[in-house]
Amino acid sequence: MQQVFSIPKSMKEDFKYTFCPGCDHGIAIRLLAEVLDELGIQDKAICAASIGCSVFIYDFLNVDSIEAPHGRAAAEATGVKRARPEKVVFTYQGDGDFASIGLAESMHAAFRGERITTLMLNNTTYGMTGGQHGPTTMMGQITTTSPTGRNREYYGYPARMAEQIALADGCAYSARVALDSIPHINDAKKAIKQAFQVQLDGIGLGFVEILSTCPTNWHMTPEQAHERVRNEMVKTFPLGVFKDLSEK
Amino acid sequence: MEKNFILAGFGGQGILLAGTILANAFMLDDKNVTWYPCYGAEMRGGTVNCEVVVSDTEVSSVHKKDCDYALVLNQQSFDRFVEHVKIGGTIVANSTLVSETKPRNDINYVFAPMGKLANDLGTSKVTNVVSLGVLSSVVDTISISALKLAIEKVLGEKKKDLLPLNIKALLSGAELIAKV
Amino acid sequence: MSKNDKVLIKGNYAIAQAAVNAGCECYFGYPITPQTEIGEYLSGKMQELKRGYVCAESELAAINMVIGAVSTGAKAMTSSSSCAVALMQEALSYAASDELPVVLVNVMRAGPGLGYIYPAQGDYNQSVYGGGNGDYKIVVLAPSTVQECIDLTYRAFYLAHKYRNPVILLADGLLGQMMEPACFGEYPYPEIDNSSWELSGAKNRNSRAIYSCAKDEQKQIEHINHLFEKFELISKNETSWEEFETEDADIILTAFGSMTRNIKAAMKVLREKGLRVGCLRPITLSPFPHQRINQLAKSGKDFVVVEMNMGQMFKDVRYAVNGESKTELINRPVGEWLKVEEIVSAVEKIMEKNYAASV
Repeated sequence: MQQVFSIPKSMKEDFKYTFCPGCDHGIAIRLLAEVLDELGIQDKAICAASIGCSVFIYDFLNVDSIEAPHGRAAAEATGVKRARPEKVVFTYQGDGDFASIGLAESMHAAFRGERITTLMLNNTTYGMTGGQHGPTTMMGQITTTSPTGRNREYYGYPARMAEQIALADGCAYSARVALDSIPHINDAKKAIKQAFQVQLDGIGLGFVEILSTCPTNWHMTPEQAHERVRNEMVKTFPLGVFKDLSEK
Repeated sequence: MEKNFILAGFGGQGILLAGTILANAFMLDDKNVTWYPCYGAEMRGGTVNCEVVVSDTEVSSVHKKDCDYALVLNQQSFDRFVEHVKIGGTIVANSTLVSETKPRNDINYVFAPMGKLANDLGTSKVTNVVSLGVLSSVVDTISISALKLAIEKVLGEKKKDLLPLNIKALLSGAELIAKV
Repeated sequence: MSKNDKVLIKGNYAIAQAAVNAGCECYFGYPITPQTEIGEYLSGKMQELKRGYVCAESELAAINMVIGAVSTGAKAMTSSSSCAVALMQEALSYAASDELPVVLVNVMRAGPGLGYIYPAQGDYNQSVYGGGNGDYKIVVLAPSTVQECIDLTYRAFYLAHKYRNPVILLADGLLGQMMEPACFGEYPYPEIDNSSWELSGAKNRNSRAIYSCAKDEQKQIEHINHLFEKFELISKNETSWEEFETEDADIILTAFGSMTRNIKAAMKVLREKGLRVGCLRPITLSPFPHQRINQLAKSGKDFVVVEMNMGQMFKDVRYAVNGESKTELINRPVGEWLKVEEIVSAVEKIMEKNYAASV
């Protein structure tokens, strides 16, 4: 009998799934693991984990990992890469970690053109602490700290990271993807792979912003959550590749 | 036996370098020595100074209230540090820029036209080295041979071409007081 | 020039070159007076040697880059000063919990807040007790001469890797800016094998994760106990101090860092005046020589702590003395270093006060 489906070898065999039902972390981590497998880099990959739900990445991946204080994943990844340039180094962060508390580290790693890959899951909220307003919360979105919805007066506007990072000269690849449908998931995998490829080719920093769900804090079913990604989030956060220096 | 020197002048007179050369000379003579630049509020007003302490045993403190010798290259430094010379100590001043007054009668004064001599040698830039020559003729424990080696060391390979002029400035400085 | 030749060198440059000699593979830093020469020197040197160097965007980034680098088993360090070291406290708590060999040089300036660039010793508490959260311990070494800036930089790298614990080299603006003759010699310590824990990629082995987050309460309790047991071992093996003429002394002057020089000079002056004064100077501020101080106090010797702060080490000395004898403080918060004459007259006053009855 032919085996057509298995756990990627970059994932631990004995992991316990700890995310909420319908959360896209599961898909994102699996895609990441498949990319590591396909590029054959699992045994030389080092991950800088972040704070938030993403912190538990080291429970899933069969990859050496270091936990970073909140927002500092890009700095730690820089340290790892500068000490061991032959390794493949990546961060796995949420939007709060990457785009709020860690914005300086994230942007400067891009400015410097660190040969690292950075993945940011954008679920428009702080998931682990129970759904507070964050840097990517959409206009009008109700959270526990924007009880009447995000407004211009008190909160200003959401941060669009894929576009911002693409502007940095040291960024080699920047894309925004979603995980709400099979075609989008396939695109997401391609983007993640490319974000690693530019690191392997020594061109610069690779960045992927992954639109993802938080059904628990959005108070939605998994299906409704994916519909929100598909119908609403993409209006504020358009999908696409914003930069790819490898095309030149 | 411990002696401390304050070297002071205005920015650009090479006073920190003069202190560095002096400290190196003491080191080459196997003495314990420290060099400490003055920063902060003391930097304002255009004067720069550093303190060199030399001792047969471990230097007791790097930064002292009063000095045994003050080497001053401009009027402002003279006015300030003449108050900080220990009783019986000596102030050595560049009379090209310092007027020869003696505000205290419990210290020794040495006035020498260091700036003029440096100009006669071709550049006022060597005033600092001339002043070290003068200092060596005032202070027994500073040897000309160690100063020569120290200058060579501080100039290094990169500025080796400046060595003859600086040695000349040093030796001329050492003879300056006898001539005055 | 042979390696044992004396050179006249600034404390900051001495620390930087010693780090190079110790095999520091990466330096990450952000400028702040009075330690900027360390980063300036290493920016050129590390590139020349093809080692790692980043002008970090902040002190937060710098210390976390060090964490990243040392997690791979590399030797790495950052340097900073007082108010900027305050920014690094979170990372030190992580590094201590994660058992990472971070080396941090703090060339102290005056505080609190921005303070100013004149010398001070106000970071004793920040270094020894830490500003990070939770129970953790840092090894703190305090040089008193430029030669010790070199020797203790070597030791900082060695201890950090030997015990997998962050080490702070606590210098001050005076030491950083002064020049003094010193010898570099060779890095005198053996290289430590990090292969059992370093992150190198999960090749032919299970993956490793370095983290401080223990979801299991019991595991966290065990982990903290382990950290403190480790520090007990460090205390037993590595506590170091210097003593001068303590044997017959009635009073022992105590100071750390470059104030050591001044108390030694004051001791000489007081001895010439016929007073039986000795000196004790901790080299490791953490672990602190509590036991030795207690022993001396039990034999009836009083302690006078001299420091450029409001009495931070004083509390540790008093704790060590534990009521066995008297403890006094001579201090100034910041600025001009306490002069030998000031220390002498302050000690004389203390003696007058404390021994008036017996004279």
